[in-house]
Amino acid sequence: MDWTAIRLLYLSELRAALRERAVLINGILIPLLMYPLMMWVMFSGILFVTARFESFASRVEIAGLPAEHQALLEGLEEDDGQIEITEVDAPPGSAAAAYREEVEDRLLAGELDAALIFETTVDPPGNAEVSLLSNGSSDQSQTARGRLERALSAERSAWLDRIADEHGLAGAEWQVFDVRSNNLATGRQMGQFLMGMMIPLFFVIMIANGCVYPAIDSTAGERERNTWETTSTLATRRIHIVTAKYLYVATMGLVAGALNAAAMVVSFRSFLGPLLARMGGGGGSGFAFELPLTSLPVLFLTAVLLGALIAAAMMILAAFARTFKEGQSMVTPVILLVIFPVVVLNDPSMEFTPALAGIPVVNVVLLLRQAIAGNVLWLQLGITVLANAAAIAACLWLASRILRVEEIATGSFEGNLFQFLRQQWRPAGGKA
Amino acid sequence: MSTVQVEVQSLSKNFFDQSRGEVKAVQEVNFECRGSEIFGLLGANGAGKTTTLRMISTVLQPTAGTARVLGHDVVSDPVEVRRNLGFYSASTALYPRLTARETLTLFARVNKYPAERTRSRVEEMIERFGLGDYAGARIEKLSSGMKQKVSIARTVVHDPPVLIFDEPTVGLDVLNALDLQKAIQELREDGKAILFSTHIMSEAERLCDRIAIIDKGRIRACDDLEGLRAATSQHYLEDIFVHYVTGNDTTA
Repeated sequence: MDWTAIRLLYLSELRAALRERAVLINGILIPLLMYPLMMWVMFSGILFVTARFESFASRVEIAGLPAEHQALLEGLEEDDGQIEITEVDAPPGSAAAAYREEVEDRLLAGELDAALIFETTVDPPGNAEVSLLSNGSSDQSQTARGRLERALSAERSAWLDRIADEHGLAGAEWQVFDVRSNNLATGRQMGQFLMGMMIPLFFVIMIANGCVYPAIDSTAGERERNTWETTSTLATRRIHIVTAKYLYVATMGLVAGALNAAAMVVSFRSFLGPLLARMGGGGGSGFAFELPLTSLPVLFLTAVLLGALIAAAMMILAAFARTFKEGQSMVTPVILLVIFPVVVLNDPSMEFTPALAGIPVVNVVLLLRQAIAGNVLWLQLGITVLANAAAIAACLWLASRILRVEEIATGSFEGNLFQFLRQQWRPAGGKA
Repeated sequence: MSTVQVEVQSLSKNFFDQSRGEVKAVQEVNFECRGSEIFGLLGANGAGKTTTLRMISTVLQPTAGTARVLGHDVVSDPVEVRRNLGFYSASTALYPRLTARETLTLFARVNKYPAERTRSRVEEMIERFGLGDYAGARIEKLSSGMKQKVSIARTVVHDPPVLIFDEPTVGLDVLNALDLQKAIQELREDGKAILFSTHIMSEAERLCDRIAIIDKGRIRACDDLEGLRAATSQHYLEDIFVHYVTGNDTTA
């Protein structure tokens, strides 16, 4: 192998690529900035909406509140002070239906956010049937409904405690089940679980995205710019030229994937963590987004394997394209082919078995998910490397077969990979 | 007399075209080119000039026959052929995102010019072709005249003994075309063997030491201008060309 020529051509491809806006955007800026930006927007948006709702005073009307439950009003007022309560007497039996209709009209018109109507009292004293009315199409009304539900629940608990106390019962004796929920996962484990679900998925997408433009640019793009013939007159074997291009495409995919993974971890820590903490996610543990150190070599390995595989597959298809547009339409199926199994198999309960380790792309995703969770399954890792290496070797073998065909190398072949394969395997006499 | 640098014997190329079937683009072509000589291939569009030169430059493989550059066979030893060859044509564009200096360095190094002398050689080319002010600019930012100069510089930067210019003046304005012709004449004076294809009679007349008239993939005549005049009793190359292409059906 003429490694000097390969190195020179590879570096020249990289240098040229880094001066191309589309490569910079797709291969570097999007993977690096998309998640921080997306999460910052999401974080800001949620904070804005939350603050907006918190600043709203919920307008509620309570009708026929029994004297025994006056504490409900105190509870509501103490909730956060952002509530305007109108208390009315229970309408007499004949006027009850008309009153309810009138409340419903005000709710739908947005003049009122929620209403509590104590309709009938039942024995024993203090018990009542209550209607909680709200407008499900209004966020403000939903917030008011939430506040009323929390106050009702607190009042019910307090009431039951009082009754139990009167009967000499402790709380645990009448509650039947005293459920104490404990999330044993640490915040770090919770964070790793969430990262394990999301990072591999976007990692694959970003590697594919990072490979697309370089794969088309270095094949169809060269033909479109008339530089392919210039390149093919260089004093090195054609396989060396293709090797340099292939390494360049794989590098761009690898860089895009690695940058994307790093950006996601940073985004999770800086935006998603605080956001989830604010929303009460992760149970008592909260979320700590930290990658285990052992996952870093696996992350690098998977980026190399995926970059090499996707680059090889894309270059095989793009080799048939004579224009950039043709290249785009030929390469797009690879992206779908890569993303489809990843999306379908993105099930947290899926076990990473040795059999699954034999399926390229899927194995990389599962391996990465395990690594992020802090587990390195050596058998599966070995099978994954072998399976992907075999797939890469098959792609490169096919690429070398394709490039031996002069019409494809010179861009005069009219067709795509499938037409080429049909011609190759057609019985003798099929091709002149 | 200079030694033979390029030998072409019975060179043929067939293509398969879906609408036309088998197309014989070049048939049994023979010629040779020596150092300090400009050998012209004169023919109409589609006559087989470019296909012949592409086979010599190893871009295409011959269907039959042989071509050798400094004794290296284009099929069995293509890398050595390309190392000793500079190929320039309208379809060999430059990499738009590299600078002129980067382009020249890349071509010198990949074409095996000694690494320790590459820098001085590149600077020499920049000086010779007047690229000094633009050597650091990306090719895509250069005017077509400057691009053409960079193209010639990259063709010769590894100092190959054989040069191929395939219709080099296509698309150039008169002044740029004259500049290019002047550069080609200077390269002949440097001792290069130059294969030059054109369909412009005046260009062939002005530049070429010997001319092969090619038509329908076959060479109809091959001699210096005086020899062609004597053989056809015609003075102007245009008339000589018409004589061979339309009036004389004998093969070379």
